[in-house]
Amino acid sequence: MQDEESLVRRAQQRDEEAFAQLYEAHFDKIYRYVAFKIGNKTEAEDMTQQVFLNALQSISSFKWRGILFSAWLFRIAHNQVVDYLRKKTKQATAPLGESLVSNDSNPQLMAEHKLDIEQLVSATKRLTRAQREVISLRFAGELPIAQVAKVMGRSQGAVKALQRSAIVALRKALLMAEGNEKD
Amino acid sequence: MKKTKEFNNILDECLERLLVKGETIEQCLQSYPEQVAELEPLLQTALATKGALIMQPRPEFKAKARYQFRSALQEVAFRRRRPLFGWVPRWATAVIIVLVLLLAGGGVVAAAGNSMPDNPLYPVKLATEQAQLALTPSDMNKAELYAKLADRRVVEIIYMANQGDVRQVEVITQRLDERLTMLARLASATVGGAPKALAPAEETVGDRDVRVRANNQAKLRTTLAYYAINHPAGLRAALDKAPESAKPALRRAIAVSVAGYERALKALD
Repeated sequence: MQDEESLVRRAQQRDEEAFAQLYEAHFDKIYRYVAFKIGNKTEAEDMTQQVFLNALQSISSFKWRGILFSAWLFRIAHNQVVDYLRKKTKQATAPLGESLVSNDSNPQLMAEHKLDIEQLVSATKRLTRAQREVISLRFAGELPIAQVAKVMGRSQGAVKALQRSAIVALRKALLMAEGNEKD
Repeated sequence: MKKTKEFNNILDECLERLLVKGETIEQCLQSYPEQVAELEPLLQTALATKGALIMQPRPEFKAKARYQFRSALQEVAFRRRRPLFGWVPRWATAVIIVLVLLLAGGGVVAAAGNSMPDNPLYPVKLATEQAQLALTPSDMNKAELYAKLADRRVVEIIYMANQGDVRQVEVITQRLDERLTMLARLASATVGGAPKALAPAEETVGDRDVRVRANNQAKLRTTLAYYAINHPAGLRAALDKAPESAKPALRRAIAVSVAGYERALKALD
């Protein structure tokens, strides 16, 4: 893949191939971020597609000012997730872990995966909103720390501290859940 | 304070090595033997988190989404190549189109209404539709209009497939996809505040507005549910009769139609 800056510049000139390459490079990451945040695989698929259609509409407004294209995409995704969750608060939703179960055909693998994702989703409920956002961007979105800082509007130092506190809190929550299961 | 900052940097560096470069926890710990006790449990949690988050969209969805996105890209590129009154606002474009159409005569517009893409009057039909869209004020009315236009596109696809014109089937499928995408967006915008009881005994003006909106939503849902069955069925029937060369394009049209109505109906829920 060519360097992202030149691809974005070509995409801004409505170069189909350049935009298609950006789409392929980022689709799965955006999907994981959205799925983890909303807790529903199928809806995450539609929302991910919508993120890219919105990006297509507004790519001309994107400017290179120290922010990567991926960070810009995650901002669009973040805004869509916020809108979605706001709408959803009035409606009952399926249990998160169940909605996120993988499509693996191997039942044992599926059960293990389900256990992991259920624990993780449940544990992240004990985190602050900022801690959850760091986990989503860093682990689901696979953004480097500098870009997480850009998306969240914080310094890198602050995000590193937040990342540490998030992992510590997550570990505590996971251990606590494990302890409860044994009782 | 300095120690904390230093540890945060070490943790971040190890996460980068672990998650991006694919190194093991042991490799990271070897670099920082003094921090092992604190670092190890955090890296284990990080690795477990990463493992739980290995999720992929369904391959069939990804294929469909890729096709839809390519269609949207081509549509954008097409509009860029052929800017229509690009320098005037949308409402003014609509007024200009209406004036031109009026000058051309109502008969032309009426004749164009039933024209197919291989007819010289077809661009008049599309221009009239654009004017209608631009002059339709509410989201609900716009959604109804988009549904009607999607219906026209399906009829045109079937007609052009019968003619064996693959290129036209592809172009109209793109238009259908765009119409259905807009329809889903508008359907989503119209949702909210629908009352459970549609006709309360004593209602205020506000209640009445909500009731009217709920009834309109129900009407739109009925139309979409009908099209969601009828359109793919019509396209499938055309698939049996179409020449071999047109079949792949028709299959894409069926996929676009199924996915589009699914999206729009979901948006109304």
